[in-house]
Amino acid sequence: MDCRAALRSIEAKADGLLPREEAAELAGHLAGCLACSAEDAALSATGPVLRALTGIRAMEKAPALDAMWTRVRAGIEESRETRRRSSWIARWAWIPAAVALAVAALLFYPSTTDRSPFHPSSFDVAVEDVESDVATVALVDKGEDLPRVIWIIEDA
Amino acid sequence: MHSAASRYIRPDPPGRPGGPAYCFLLLLLLLAAGPSEAADTVTVDVGAVYASNEGTSIDPTLGTIRGKLQSMFNYTSYRMLDRKRRSLSVGETGEFELPGQRTMRATLLPAQGDKVRLSIRISDGPRNLLTTTLGLRRGGMVLVGGPSHKAGVLILLISAE
Repeated sequence: MDCRAALRSIEAKADGLLPREEAAELAGHLAGCLACSAEDAALSATGPVLRALTGIRAMEKAPALDAMWTRVRAGIEESRETRRRSSWIARWAWIPAAVALAVAALLFYPSTTDRSPFHPSSFDVAVEDVESDVATVALVDKGEDLPRVIWIIEDA
Repeated sequence: MHSAASRYIRPDPPGRPGGPAYCFLLLLLLLAAGPSEAADTVTVDVGAVYASNEGTSIDPTLGTIRGKLQSMFNYTSYRMLDRKRRSLSVGETGEFELPGQRTMRATLLPAQGDKVRLSIRISDGPRNLLTTTLGLRRGGMVLVGGPSHKAGVLILLISAE
């Protein structure tokens, strides 16, 4: 293994991608090459240093990140509450609409028609006069419980 | 970052929670302000019933008058063809179209107390079938029958409220 191949293997080793058979070959090269051995040592130390540095930066920024997350969470809650409120309005908005329809039906339904059943309270009727030009008219009275009938017998 | 996030998650301003209630109250007011009948008017209600021996059906809209029709006449079927109402004041005449090109004109005459006086004229084209003057109580009813219609006769249920 020459130094160029050894450097590629050192980088692969630092990334954890070096195959086992090449690791043995690299170890053999490092044992006899001071320059590559120094490079290997430097790269091997870089990972822990970066991890430590990231940890330190994260600790420094933790309060600011916490504060931002608190704002985000509050915003989400507020948004949910608004959605809940608007869905409540949507759920009950049909009631005024239904009442409006009912009122419109009552106001604009032709008042000259009526489908409610007949429930007369009295059959006490006085027939003051009766006449017809083309028919014979009979007055039928079958008792107080029954309505008086004016019967028209059309002449043939 | 802060302002951008805030802009993104800021909810729309909430609607006025009392909106539907205001609409409901407005509609109730409209309903309360609807047309109401004055005490000096009478509503004349005319139902045109087709009585025949075709079938045995009795129209449920005849209400309590069904049994009385059955006990007074020998027809097997009573069907409500039309029903009309007119609110009349004294001196006013209302016209009711009847089945078979017939018409009925009712004029409200002066009366006292809960009495109602009606002048009724039923015509078949130019022919005067009936002219009568009736005195009845509010809520009372009188029947006028006999004009032929199809295979049976017409019976008019005339009531005043």
